[in-house]
Amino acid sequence: MEDYIYDTDDPIVALATAWSESALAVIRTSGRGSVELFSRVFSNSRELKKSLGFTLHYGYIVDQNRKKRIDQVTAAVYRAPKSYTGQESVEIFCHGSLPGIELIITLLKDVGFREAGPGEFTMRAFLNGKMDLSQAEAVAEIVQSKSRQAHSLALNRLSGGVFDRIDTIKKKLVDLMSIIEVQLDYPDDEIGGDTAVPSDSVLHAIEELETLIDTYRVGRIFHEGVVVAFAGGTNAGKSSLFNLFLKEDRSIVSEINGTTRDYIESWISINGIPVRLFDTAGLRNADHPVELEGIRRSEEIIKNAAVVLYVIDGSVGMTDEDLKVFQEKGKGNEYMFIWNKIDESDKTVPRGVFPVSAVTGKGFSDLEKAISSGLTGLEISGSELMIDSLRQRELLERAVAALKGVKKSLANKVSLDAVALDLKDGLDALGEITGEVSSEDILNNIFSGFCVGK
Amino acid sequence: MDYDVIVIGGGHAGIEASLAVSRLGFSTLMITQSLDAIGRLSCNPAIGGLSKGNIVREVDALGGEMARLIDATMIQYRTLNKRKGPAVQAPRAQADKFLYNRLAMDTLGRQANLVLFQDTVVEILVNTSGRDVSGVLTERGNRINAKAVIMTTGTFMDGRVFIGEYQASSGRLGEPAALGLGDSLRGMGFVLGRMKTGTPARVAASSLNFDLMEEQPGDSKMLPFSFGKNSIDRPSVPCFITFTNEKTHTIISKNMHRSPLYSGEIIGNGPRYCPSLEDKVVRFPDRNRHQIFVEPEGIGSQEMYLNGISTSLPEDVQEAFLRTIPGLEDVRIMRPGYAVEYDYMDPTQLYPSLETKKISGLFVAGQTNGTSGYEEAACQGLMAGINAALKLQSKDPLILSRDLAYTGVLIDDLVTLGTEEPYRMFTSRAEYRLNLRHDSADIRLVPLGYRIGLQSEEVFDRLNKKIEGIEEIKALLASRYMKSSDLDSAPEGFSRHLGKKFGQILKNPDVNIDQLSKLEPRIEEYPREWISHSELDIKYEGYIIRQMKQVERFNKMEKKRIPRDFDYDLVEGISSESREKLKKIKPCSIGQASRISGVRNSDIAVLMVMLKRSNRNEE
Ligand SMILES: Cc1cc2nc3c(=O)[nH]c(=O)nc-3n(C[C@H](O)[C@H](O)[C@H](O)COP(=O)(O)OP(=O)(O)OC[C@H]3O[C@@H](n4cnc5c(N)ncnc54)[C@H](O)[C@@H]3O)c2cc1C
Ligand SMILES: Nc1nc2c(ncn2[C@@H]2O[C@H](COP(=O)(O)OP(=O)(O)O)[C@@H](O)[C@H]2O)c(=O)[nH]1
Ligand SMILES: [Mg+2]
Repeated sequence: MEDYIYDTDDPIVALATAWSESALAVIRTSGRGSVELFSRVFSNSRELKKSLGFTLHYGYIVDQNRKKRIDQVTAAVYRAPKSYTGQESVEIFCHGSLPGIELIITLLKDVGFREAGPGEFTMRAFLNGKMDLSQAEAVAEIVQSKSRQAHSLALNRLSGGVFDRIDTIKKKLVDLMSIIEVQLDYPDDEIGGDTAVPSDSVLHAIEELETLIDTYRVGRIFHEGVVVAFAGGTNAGKSSLFNLFLKEDRSIVSEINGTTRDYIESWISINGIPVRLFDTAGLRNADHPVELEGIRRSEEIIKNAAVVLYVIDGSVGMTDEDLKVFQEKGKGNEYMFIWNKIDESDKTVPRGVFPVSAVTGKGFSDLEKAISSGLTGLEISGSELMIDSLRQRELLERAVAALKGVKKSLANKVSLDAVALDLKDGLDALGEITGEVSSEDILNNIFSGFCVGK
Repeated sequence: MDYDVIVIGGGHAGIEASLAVSRLGFSTLMITQSLDAIGRLSCNPAIGGLSKGNIVREVDALGGEMARLIDATMIQYRTLNKRKGPAVQAPRAQADKFLYNRLAMDTLGRQANLVLFQDTVVEILVNTSGRDVSGVLTERGNRINAKAVIMTTGTFMDGRVFIGEYQASSGRLGEPAALGLGDSLRGMGFVLGRMKTGTPARVAASSLNFDLMEEQPGDSKMLPFSFGKNSIDRPSVPCFITFTNEKTHTIISKNMHRSPLYSGEIIGNGPRYCPSLEDKVVRFPDRNRHQIFVEPEGIGSQEMYLNGISTSLPEDVQEAFLRTIPGLEDVRIMRPGYAVEYDYMDPTQLYPSLETKKISGLFVAGQTNGTSGYEEAACQGLMAGINAALKLQSKDPLILSRDLAYTGVLIDDLVTLGTEEPYRMFTSRAEYRLNLRHDSADIRLVPLGYRIGLQSEEVFDRLNKKIEGIEEIKALLASRYMKSSDLDSAPEGFSRHLGKKFGQILKNPDVNIDQLSKLEPRIEEYPREWISHSELDIKYEGYIIRQMKQVERFNKMEKKRIPRDFDYDLVEGISSESREKLKKIKPCSIGQASRISGVRNSDIAVLMVMLKRSNRNEE
């Protein structure tokens, strides 16, 4: 495992404000070369590099590879020893959108910062004499409390299923490593010639890891929330259903009221998935300019929603408008059609439409389940396999990159000691998630699996 | 004071320890049970092998003796793992074990400042404070004083030999155990444990039918282990290979109850990497045969060593199963295989200098520390000798870091993690093994040997010439282009390299330096060894650079020193488990602390904070 917590002057980065949508966020960096490194993603790099401590710089975060501006920010430069940590440091004030923050942090990591460990800024502050003893003791607590439950930072949000899955892959790689190491540690004549290195298992591991990496999108949904919007004709029962969701859910984060003609938005949780639920004015004909504006905004929201809950008034049956939408969107998985007011009507419900009653609550929990599985594309249960932290994804990506190196080296017939180096990198990356693999583990595996030794 | 230093034991650890101390100018006494047994190869008649060969060359680079002993006594040489990559290649040689033992005795006998004395140490003496070593007491009642004592008792401390139902107090078959010392150490509060190892039978060459075995010759060219030698001119004799079969295994299975290993007579852990034939049969029932290397013990000797089938079954069973093996039908056993169980010291009681934490001036090295193998013993002996001398010079100990030498990996593993079974070196124990190539041992360690005073100015100058030469070769390869005029003498397919630099071309897995040096005679003017060194440096450049980055990170933590008297009880906020472990191991650096098993990252972070605090208070 990398001893990253203890390294005391390499450049680190972390979000200093809370991980949630807000108007502003602060990203903090510290360590040797922070200003220079930051300047590589900053539009105003020349000015920044020459700047003195305690100066503010306005500019853009730029993704150099894609030549794209990411965000408009203000950067505060601190020169050692006059900063929180006593080290050279840059604080970036950016917009508080989660995807934006994530992108900025990723860019900073690409240029050489690494994600800070828990309490690491504070620890540096102490090590550089920026803090008194009682504060330093608090550091101990921070560091302790965060890592007590976990092998590593990456473990903090790892579900049991993912742990097992990664661990299984890791075990297979340990077997692979043993096949290589036994050949490195014993001469040919003692192990009866070469054992072929099963390159299949490398391919297999790469595939499995990539599948896991793909779950990150899903993981992120869990993390950041998705937009779900109601649509449908007036009086179909959209607002009633909206209220039902709010009532059922006890974890409402915020409630923002628009005008009735506009939309209403609320954070709710559906089977653990944070959802920004919108009740819209509905699609109808209108000529009042205010209403027109409301409808335009509703349409905008509906267009951007991950999932649209289209409500049909079951007591009336499908209107022409409903039918039109149904024919257009019924096949895709972006729209879900809801047949409301089943308490009032015994009309047959068309296939693919969810029967519910906003008044009695009938069908509601089935609807919730259908929404959540629609959101993730997976059945949701307590131990669903998905990764949800950027760090986990990065470690898995590191492992995949290393394994691709192994694959390439094997194909090019590079000598085994070099192959082992890549494989070890891969194992170390997985080890940071599920626990380190020591050389003793490999040797144990060799001794139990191979009859070696003169 | 009678002597500056006393070395107990004349095995491979004792040899290096006593030579190092006496060569550094200290009056030294080696006490060993039998002067005739100095440097005896107790087990297989071979030195070197994967990672072990690297250790021999490290010992040589630091100014030790082992490489010179084997260079002068080898009877077969091979470079192992030639195809598997430079990091894991290593030299191995069969030794004429009688000659080896003889040469070791002579070398010690001729060494200035070194006195050899035959007796058995029964007690370590300490001064009135009980904290400093003051000498030793022997079986015959000799009380000898010294400022430092190096203990290298091998398999002899309370050794017990087992052959089936037979048991005897013995350190090696035919040699008495060293009794009493273990009790003395326990009385002083040291933790000792039991370990076990075994050896196969030696059989008469005249009773074997070599026609039924496969001959295994050595390399056609013998290469020296010692950096001070350029070539070896010694006779080369072959080894032979044969196999056990199901009949052999049946006999063993039927008689398993007569093995002391399975009857519960032996309690010590044996090495899993070197299992007895009994173990192999039990643990790998699917294997229908196991390989045996039949190795000569020396030129002019009848004894042949049966490598691969160490056993402690009764002698009648040994004979019965041996006779099922092709070529061994009429075998005559000269010495039976046996197991030996002995006391070892839990090595976590040592500092990385190999000095005990409890008694200042008492050093422990070799198999006593839970290792096995001649090379593992030798490098520890050398380091203990060096550190005893440095202590008497009031200098800081020499601690080789894990990125610098297998010797460093070995000692760090022992004192940080301890060991549950006899510890043998493996390349996979070294995280930076690309840096630990056997051909770079001199570059890594001669400067240290020179600084300490074990290497001469001449050796140091020779090293610097070599380093310069390698740089010249690399510069040449980096500047020379492949020209069309080269194509005539170049191998087929080289036209695709036209216009590229030689250094670049060499990075192709299927290109070797010989192909290039044919085109550029200036390369051939350099010694062969330098050329191949350059070749490996270039071929592995990318990997080496990567490794260097890891090493840089590693070293940062190694450089954060923890004072020996650091009070862990004053550190608030670490788990009590970590605290106990830290107090026991007394790590020298944050790096070492982080390797202690069960000490958490968070505790290390807290420790760093507190260290800084205590430093600041002192400032
Ligand atoms: C039966 C057997 C099987 C082995 N099998 C293997 C194997 O499979 N693989 C492997 O790598 N290695 C094996 N070895 C181990 C190898 O021989 C040792 O690792 C190596 O010799 C250790 O060197 P040393 O200097 O520590 O101790 P030794 O070579 O054992 O030397 C110790 C010396 O100290 C002397 N001595 C001990 N106590 C006292 C005392 N109190 N006073 C005076 N003198 C004392 C002894 O007489 C002896 O000369 C085996 C050894 C034996 C005996
Ligand atoms: N019986 C019955 N009435 C419902 C149900 N859902 C909504 N209503 C009624 O239908 C009317 C319109 O509901 P509302 O939620 O405002 O519709 P919206 O215009 O789509 O937002 C209200 O009078 C509700 O009480 C239902 O499931 N059953
Ligand atoms: Mg409404």
